[in-house]
Amino acid sequence: MANNAVGNNVSGQKGGVKLTKKDLVVAWLNWMYYFQSCYNYERMQGIGFLHAMSSVIKRLYKNDPEERKNAMKRHLQFFNTENAFGSPVIGLVAAMEEQKANGANLDDDAFTSIKTGLMGPLAGVGDPIWQGVAIPLLIVFFIGLAIEGNVIAPIIYSLIFYVIYYGVGYWLFNLGYNKGSEKILDLMESGAIKKFILGAGIMGNAVIGGLVANYVSLKTTVQIQQAEGKVFVLQTELFDKIMPGLLPLALTLGCYWLLKKGVSSVKVILAIVAVGIIGGLIGIL
Amino acid sequence: MSVFQAILIGLCYYLANSPWPFGGLGNYAILYRPMVSGFVVGLILGDPVTGTIIGATINLMYIGFISAGGSMPSDMSLAGILGTALAITGGIPTEAALAIAVPLGLLGSIVWVGRLTLDTAFVPLAEKYADEGKPEKVWIVNILLPQLLLFVMTFIPCFLAAYFGGQYIQGAIDALGGNVLRILAVIGGMLPAVGIGMTLLSIFKGEARIFFFLGFLLAAYFGVPILPLSLLSLCITIVYMQLKGKAGGAQNG
Repeated sequence: MANNAVGNNVSGQKGGVKLTKKDLVVAWLNWMYYFQSCYNYERMQGIGFLHAMSSVIKRLYKNDPEERKNAMKRHLQFFNTENAFGSPVIGLVAAMEEQKANGANLDDDAFTSIKTGLMGPLAGVGDPIWQGVAIPLLIVFFIGLAIEGNVIAPIIYSLIFYVIYYGVGYWLFNLGYNKGSEKILDLMESGAIKKFILGAGIMGNAVIGGLVANYVSLKTTVQIQQAEGKVFVLQTELFDKIMPGLLPLALTLGCYWLLKKGVSSVKVILAIVAVGIIGGLIGIL
Repeated sequence: MSVFQAILIGLCYYLANSPWPFGGLGNYAILYRPMVSGFVVGLILGDPVTGTIIGATINLMYIGFISAGGSMPSDMSLAGILGTALAITGGIPTEAALAIAVPLGLLGSIVWVGRLTLDTAFVPLAEKYADEGKPEKVWIVNILLPQLLLFVMTFIPCFLAAYFGGQYIQGAIDALGGNVLRILAVIGGMLPAVGIGMTLLSIFKGEARIFFFLGFLLAAYFGVPILPLSLLSLCITIVYMQLKGKAGGAQNG
């Protein structure tokens, strides 16, 4: 099986070409920055993947125009994954090309199966980790300061994200180049990542709960006339006494429930707009 | 708003969607997030503090934003950039600004769909370079051409909207009167519930759920602000994970 050659030392004698550190870093940087620069419905990140492999192909097939064309064609195929967690595929495929250029028997199918076999699981871990956990947590951490007008908050947020994102990407890229695909998949399914997601989920829940109390605002202006000219103010005399933020909590859980039932976010937004207009006009909000 | 300021705001929208450093393409994290772009737009308009406040408020709506597999539910970069620009020039209160920004975000997702459709036209050129075996030319089809296209698609509409919108927004708000602004603020106050609800979709699960209520109660009854609450919940999380590890170890042993 061609796959067995991956990650092992292959003692074929063909070119004796090695990728330099610079070739690899250029490949990784081209991937990190431009992987989605020509994002399109036909190949998704296919052109971006080819761009990332350009420095590798240039080095390995310098004197082999036929194989250069073949390599370019096989890396122009459909590809779609998450940026930082997709980095090990770049490292791994670079290592495979290096072995092939040195005589290993790897056909196009071996590359395609590795790429398509990894892109799904990696995006399945990467998308939720960044967009569902890490970025929301970082944003939430700084958003309170930013809402009070602290201009340092967005700057520090950006720097911290930048360092973590590129740090994780570079680490995974090297892992892909030095180890095989099984190591990468093992890592994605390992207990450490599950633990991290659970821990981040706990912290995220606590902070998001705080956000509801602090930044969702919904107050009723309902007042009830009582006997002897007394006025019962629903918000301050009932809701605030039971639990401040009762209405925002109910509203948030209501939105969550609708979204979970599959109602689109646009429809939920429109419903809120309708409630706001009607409530505002008849004077209960 | 001067022409020059509108040009910078248009540029900001291009950069937020570009692959350049600190742009937002692919990670949707830095300049793409209204908290960051609001600060930059505020800087352009000479009021970074107000820009940050408005941008962060708009960002409340988009905390739980997820774009996976090439889908784009809403363009928060346009919501943040144009929303902040119009709110500052029109003197719109922060909460009402959110109600104006959200529809802009929905409009902006047209740019995303248009770009993924039009970029398909570059595939044959990439195939031509592959047939010729010219890896050194790939940057032309991956960066130069699609980025020129993206620049046209993002810069021009945002520049025009910022410049002309900025001229008329104040008059429009004045004409609408106080009651409309009040209703916009009511809507803007409620909208973060949708964004938070979307975040909950991905994290409100299993044993972590009770901590949502813990955080809410700490903030609602004791008024704990978000930053100390984050640190507190970090400690609680670590303790919980340690106890869980011990319980698991005892069972296994």
